[in-house]
Amino acid sequence: MKVALFITCVNDGLFPNTPRAVVDVLERLGHEVVFPTQQTCCGQMHLNAGYREEGLHLAQRFRDVFNDYDVIVSPSASCVGTVRDLYATSAKSLGDATLAEDLDEVGRRTYEFSEFLNDVLKVTDVGAVFPHRVAYHPTCHSLRVLGLDEAPRTLLRHVEGLDLVPFVQPDSCCGFGGMFSIKNADTSSAMGSDKLAAVRASGAEVLCALDNSCLTHIGGLASRARSPLRLMHLAEILASRDGSGRV
Amino acid sequence: MSRVFDTNLPFPTLARTALADAQLRANLKHATTTIREKRLRVVGELDDWEELRSAGAAIKDFALGHLDELCVEFERNVQARGGVVHWARDAAEANAIVVGLVQATGVDSVVKVKSMATAEIELNTALESHGIIAYETDLAELIVQLGDDLPSHILVPAIHKNRAQIRRIFLDEMGKSGLAAPADLSDDPAALAGAARAHLRQRFLSAKVAISGANFLVADTGAVVVVESEGNGRMCLTLPETLISVVGVEKILPDWRSLEVFLQLLPRSATGERMNPYTSIFTGATPGNGPSNFHVVLIDNGRSSALAEESGRDVLRCIRCSACLNVCPVYERTGGHSYGNPYPGPIGAVLVPQLRRGVRTQLEDSLPYASSLCGACYVACPVKIDIPKILVRLRSEVVDEKRREHPRDPELVAMKMVEKGFSSARVMRRLVAAGQVLGRLRVRRLRYLPPPLSRWSATRDAPLPPATSFRAWFAQTHPDANVDLPLPRDFSSSLVHDHGAIHDATPGHVGRDVPGRDGVLSSLASALAAHPSPPPPPRAFRLTGSRDARERRQLLRERLVDYRANVVECDPASLAATIASLLAAHHSTSVAVPTDVPDEWLREVSVRVHRDDGPLATAELDAIDSTLTGCAVAVAETGTIVLDSGERQGRRVLSLVPDHLIVVIDDAQIVEVVPEAVARLTPDSSQTWISGPSATSDIELERVEGVHGPRRLDVILVAASR
Repeated sequence: MKVALFITCVNDGLFPNTPRAVVDVLERLGHEVVFPTQQTCCGQMHLNAGYREEGLHLAQRFRDVFNDYDVIVSPSASCVGTVRDLYATSAKSLGDATLAEDLDEVGRRTYEFSEFLNDVLKVTDVGAVFPHRVAYHPTCHSLRVLGLDEAPRTLLRHVEGLDLVPFVQPDSCCGFGGMFSIKNADTSSAMGSDKLAAVRASGAEVLCALDNSCLTHIGGLASRARSPLRLMHLAEILASRDGSGRV
Repeated sequence: MSRVFDTNLPFPTLARTALADAQLRANLKHATTTIREKRLRVVGELDDWEELRSAGAAIKDFALGHLDELCVEFERNVQARGGVVHWARDAAEANAIVVGLVQATGVDSVVKVKSMATAEIELNTALESHGIIAYETDLAELIVQLGDDLPSHILVPAIHKNRAQIRRIFLDEMGKSGLAAPADLSDDPAALAGAARAHLRQRFLSAKVAISGANFLVADTGAVVVVESEGNGRMCLTLPETLISVVGVEKILPDWRSLEVFLQLLPRSATGERMNPYTSIFTGATPGNGPSNFHVVLIDNGRSSALAEESGRDVLRCIRCSACLNVCPVYERTGGHSYGNPYPGPIGAVLVPQLRRGVRTQLEDSLPYASSLCGACYVACPVKIDIPKILVRLRSEVVDEKRREHPRDPELVAMKMVEKGFSSARVMRRLVAAGQVLGRLRVRRLRYLPPPLSRWSATRDAPLPPATSFRAWFAQTHPDANVDLPLPRDFSSSLVHDHGAIHDATPGHVGRDVPGRDGVLSSLASALAAHPSPPPPPRAFRLTGSRDARERRQLLRERLVDYRANVVECDPASLAATIASLLAAHHSTSVAVPTDVPDEWLREVSVRVHRDDGPLATAELDAIDSTLTGCAVAVAETGTIVLDSGERQGRRVLSLVPDHLIVVIDDAQIVEVVPEAVARLTPDSSQTWISGPSATSDIELERVEGVHGPRRLDVILVAASR
């Protein structure tokens, strides 16, 4: 299958290992991966913060960049949630029904990485090896916007050597929330500290999620607290063949 | 003077104070965790919960879509039952109406049932300025009032206080305004509830005027529905001569039958109970059976402007259950006071800016941002209000205002620049490349960032970009898989800026010269003009149960026992002996009975029997130990007994004032589910729904028995003869 990668701006600049892992897994499974180089940002930050017009400019840009592809895959649940859910709502709230329909269409072709593996490719075992204790944090966008919970857990359960450990209140928000982490930094940090404490108490060595933005927030708190917790995107664990998690 | 929210500080500033209070955070965490688990348990019991949610949303949509007509229908039905409906366009009008009504009775104090509407309009302050004291009777409101505090939760205004703090307030303050708390008061919630009972008892028994809000108004019967736990609501809706209910127009339901949905959604979402201890459905003045003067003050106060907008209308569905507060991770850390007004939490963040349209203070502008958009509120909402979507919508209104009023606002300028940068892959490539210079530094994490990002780095390290971006790596490793498609440079021209579609729909404010009724009705009508009529709501939930008579009786028994009622079963032949033994077990010396209780029931009773022939005065009833009644219908699934003053039930006061209530139920009266009960009852009868003894969840959200209503409930299930 030919897959167009939507890597997201955050991953491009800060976490290139995540999209590299996506490429690695998809190619290992025998699929063709292409990268539309004009892609930039989906507009999530603008749309969520109330910058509807700016966000919709970026949304239209996204649509044009990915116009020619039947399957668009991204290692970010919140960006996929933006494309699938927020684009059309934002266009509608601006009174532009035609644009809303247009953007809705591109949303139907856009998949989160684990969702694509599970729902489209019907793969549960990608041949990964990762002998570590891993906690999985269902991010708000993956769980409540995309409805993903079992798919990523199933993929993790099939990783050789991986010990999936539970922790308390897994589905409560980590407190990142995009601009929320700046505008309400104190509350955001309080939520993140509680999340970090819950994960630490579980004995996990690695915290895994479907969004590097949430992991950056929790990781930033962990690093400040000199915690040895390692933060990894699901794709990087699935790409791991030798147990190191390095792509 | 009672305290009111008078802050103009933004949410983050208010939140900082709360976050620094470790005791507050511990109290909130404990209470919200307790209630979340309870809610999940009782919601999980119902297979048709999603169908009920959909029905709840649809009924509310229908009601809001016909609000002007339904208000008039409600008024007509209240009038037909001897009540008066008043109309208020705003808080000032509402307060003036209530003050006038109280002054006309000549009293200088009133008892109050907890009400968000009266908190919103700051009624207590208005009454005080006219020399009228309003005594709050809900336990949590009493704690707030005695402690000269502010409410911090819709359902449990004193949620920020723990039992030890509540004990201190009772000991220090109760004596200043009435009966003092006993000096040896413990911090056991039951003891605290007992102190509140004693403190308020005489106040209830002597009150001439009560003020309530309402959870629902029923258009086709003119009923005011008050859902509560402690019995203070029943006291206020039963004992005083005058009842004044102050209610937002959006509380109207189209018909009696709608309660089959909301009496399931509300208690499970609010206190995590299958059914709250008491619901009063008051349909107007009946001689000798409750208040003889009955007033409803319908308030607009921003609701018609909210109604004109799609998102505003969604918010008006809210039934004030507080489920969104209890699941909100932001509320759990910041508490209610951070929201700067009586409506806190996610619903407050979307409701307040819409009720105060046109008011732009730092507080209103900050509320839509007081959320991480995690969506837990939407999942929990019993009427499916998509709060995150509405928050985003309200944020865009804040930004649009900024565009008009402060085009050089630094955030606005920065966000526009970022968009420009992201509009070109070439610019973005350069930005990423610039970032990689940092990646060559010999540090792993950044500890300091410049403002405004310093708010990030105050508590969190920031990641450094690695030496190679993804696109650089991919270009090198997959030279043939890079697709470089030329794009138009500017997308702004392709965007339809149809702000008119939103703003034209906002109704004009009605002039001061239009009287209240016409003013409210014309605002509602113009708000609705632009919207299509919503369809009649579906009834896809369970309308009947599947159990037989014996199974229903067993389930009822189980559910009643769950709520600490004492349940005994007997056959018709042993009923009289059972009644006598229950009175003896309670050491009763007297029992009140309705006029039509059969002599057969009393055959073996040896205590003094007071038939309500007189009828019995409230003070006489207060001196009687027990009451014995029949019932209209009982709901097995929720452990609920409904009294409607019909056969063998008598006046509403009988089952309220004596501390011990015995109810006789026979098999034919037991239904399985709430819709069956609603179908069986007479729509326009005044009813009391009783689920266990009087109780409260106001102390740390744990249910404890025993406040203002009967503290002991005995239920006799009479099995049909075999």
